[in-house]
Amino acid sequence: MTPTMKPSTTPDVRADQMSLSGLMPEGRRVLAVVGAGALALGLALGALHGDGHRYFLHAYLTGFSFLLSITLGSLVLVTALHATRAGWGVSVRRILEILAANLFVPALMFLPILVLLAWGHAGLYPWNNPQNVAKEPLLAAKAGYLSALPFLLRAVAYFAAWWAVARFYLRHSLEQDASGDPALTVRMERWSGPALVALGLTGTWAAFDWLMSLEPLWHSTIFGLYYLSGGVVGALATLILLAMGLQRADRLRSAITVEHYHDLGKLLFAALVFWGYMAFSQYLLIWYANLPEETAWYRPRLAGPWGWVALAVLLGHLLVPFFGLLSRHAKRSRRALAFWAAWLLAFHWLDLAWIVMPSAHGRGFPVGLVDLCVLVGLGSFYLAWAWRIAHGMSLVPMQDPRLPEAMEFENM
Amino acid sequence: MTETRSTTENAGSPPILAGLLAEFDGPDALLAAAEKVRQAGYCRWDAHSPYPVHGLDRAMGIRPTLLPWLVLGAGIAGAAVALHLQWWTNAVDYPLITSAKPRFSLPANIPVAFELIVLLSALAAFAGCLALNRLPQFWHPVFTARRFRRATSDGFFLSVEAADPRFDPSRTRALLESLGASAIEPCHEPAEGRRIPRALYRLAMIALALAVLPPLWIARVRHSKSERPRIHPIQDMDFQPRYQSQAASPLFADGRAMRPALPGTIADGQLDADEHLHRGRAGNAWATTFPVPVHITRENLDRGRRRYNIFCAPCHGLTGGPAPDDLKRQGKPDKLLYGMVALRAAERIEGEQPGYTGWVMPRSLHEPSVVGQPVGQLFNTITHGLNTMPAYEAQVPVEDRWRIVLYVRALQRSQNARLEDVPEDRRTDLK
Repeated sequence: MTPTMKPSTTPDVRADQMSLSGLMPEGRRVLAVVGAGALALGLALGALHGDGHRYFLHAYLTGFSFLLSITLGSLVLVTALHATRAGWGVSVRRILEILAANLFVPALMFLPILVLLAWGHAGLYPWNNPQNVAKEPLLAAKAGYLSALPFLLRAVAYFAAWWAVARFYLRHSLEQDASGDPALTVRMERWSGPALVALGLTGTWAAFDWLMSLEPLWHSTIFGLYYLSGGVVGALATLILLAMGLQRADRLRSAITVEHYHDLGKLLFAALVFWGYMAFSQYLLIWYANLPEETAWYRPRLAGPWGWVALAVLLGHLLVPFFGLLSRHAKRSRRALAFWAAWLLAFHWLDLAWIVMPSAHGRGFPVGLVDLCVLVGLGSFYLAWAWRIAHGMSLVPMQDPRLPEAMEFENM
Repeated sequence: MTETRSTTENAGSPPILAGLLAEFDGPDALLAAAEKVRQAGYCRWDAHSPYPVHGLDRAMGIRPTLLPWLVLGAGIAGAAVALHLQWWTNAVDYPLITSAKPRFSLPANIPVAFELIVLLSALAAFAGCLALNRLPQFWHPVFTARRFRRATSDGFFLSVEAADPRFDPSRTRALLESLGASAIEPCHEPAEGRRIPRALYRLAMIALALAVLPPLWIARVRHSKSERPRIHPIQDMDFQPRYQSQAASPLFADGRAMRPALPGTIADGQLDADEHLHRGRAGNAWATTFPVPVHITRENLDRGRRRYNIFCAPCHGLTGGPAPDDLKRQGKPDKLLYGMVALRAAERIEGEQPGYTGWVMPRSLHEPSVVGQPVGQLFNTITHGLNTMPAYEAQVPVEDRWRIVLYVRALQRSQNARLEDVPEDRRTDLK
């Protein structure tokens, strides 16, 4: 975008309410209590299933991978904004940086899974059961990769890499808030390319480890990008909803305009189409070749109630929002964009449930109370911690050299 | 306020005024002026700036473009064309089963549909953008204003066309001046003498003539014969290592390159599981009724008559051979009641090879032994042949064979009709 010469009409971001201070002082505590209550209720309801918490663990993994995907999606967006030297995105970048730095919560949430795994529990991952490995030569061949210790080491490596990237961007951005040094922007841009490559690789491996190995004999090379692209959809939807929520709470009123929402809507549209491209690319090849070892993953996910969920995901995660978000008017209308963001967030969760839950149960109503309790529980903790990070910092990178450009940004 | 003379170079007739071009000092002045010109009710005018000025669309009152709808239409058309093409070629015109998938299977058709959606949408966006902007346009009256050259570097202009109904040379000029224009210049229609040079026309003619040559040459080689092998501009898969049919191959244990079909394999659409329809059987006996798809209707009977006249009449004759009464009366059938092929064969045997047993005269369809046969048996005879009669399985589709049986039954009835078969009101005609 070319700069316009209308300084007089530019809204002044400095007049905005820039921090969370004074906003619902009890909010974090309420979220923590709600989270603990919902999680405990989910755990109790999960015990009723009488399957050694198999169902509960899968629901937990669904909730965890949902929140992790939003975190990773935010990290991808932060680095992508730097890689493309985007001016418009400065207004919303801090929220993404906070969501990315919220990685601590998913890391903590993954700890119980790792502990259970080290314990020898195979309720989630069948490859952790020596009897299964003894029965299946392929599992024995994969044991060097798919067993508790390498799995644990890799998990630590992934979280360390993401943590390094997320901290790097939040720290430099905050440093710039204080010093106003434009060299920091150059530095963040320089590292964005390598960071994106690292995110793509670690994200792919993490998706292989944590979601694909639920069915340890199945493999799909595109699976990691499928997960990450869904994460970008989730992150954008979360960002849109958070920005609108903050504006309703009288924050960032002039920093984020309809022009920014328009661009976020475009990105959301692009991300959901990309997700559809990934999902279809994975499906088409497996459907075409029709090899038993590959179709085995789709078999339980397209049969019975999960078949209906698959259809709902195809419609709700791709076809319906495609036409819903196609028009410029939908992207520029707050109400329409908020609706589609909430809609896509819900379907992104359903997509992950469709990936994880069929390993636990094949019959009955696909979405249960346990899943929702776990989602509310983990989600509350996630929001509370993000709130904690955001507390005491500006919600917009005030000294970013591109902030004036972002403020004057207009779609043609 | 300065004013420069226009740069038109004609000395003779006075130049025709095409409009006024006003220069403004910057984007803000241009925005304010555009707002006022729109409010003054002008409709044929434009603003020119070296870069897109935010808010200019709104100031000029430009409505949202139609282009997205054109692109959406093109995209939907692309999907429709791609899916229809694949459905028609793969499921209707040349049914082909690939990987045991249904002939029309949506997942396999998505990639082509996707590509065509993208292609047609992109072409519609490109062509639509040009068309809606009335491009390409090689000349415009604003080009006659000297200042206009700066429109792509640092000039901000507003031009009002003389064709605008509200245009008045002095009043429009006054309006533009009142809006703070730093300079106003008239624009002119092209002068009479300024035409496209003749040399350009000649060049275009030569180019056109040359452009006709390649298609002419292609047409010539396509319709002429040559001893030399054809030119392969695009190799595609014309030369690839492969086995000829029936060739040997050391790769397989049986030494054959062509792989035999698996036991129990049935060609697509040839399962023929309906015993009644495909073999004329009902249990262990010949079927005595017609199978479901062939109902006894006028249409089926007519179709049966036409098939009979084509495939059966050459030997059996148009009436199906001599009637029982003729047989009884003469002891020997009247050859003239048979078809041409049968007659010719009988003649040749009689005249050239008496005693030849390789040919059997066709049976009259009115012989009691034929009339008494169940329809299933007649169908079986048509399908597999009998004596010298060949099998018609390959030539006549199964439903048509049943229709022929239907017509044969009608022929037999015509030679053995009783009074009760005639409608009551017509019986008096027979007496």
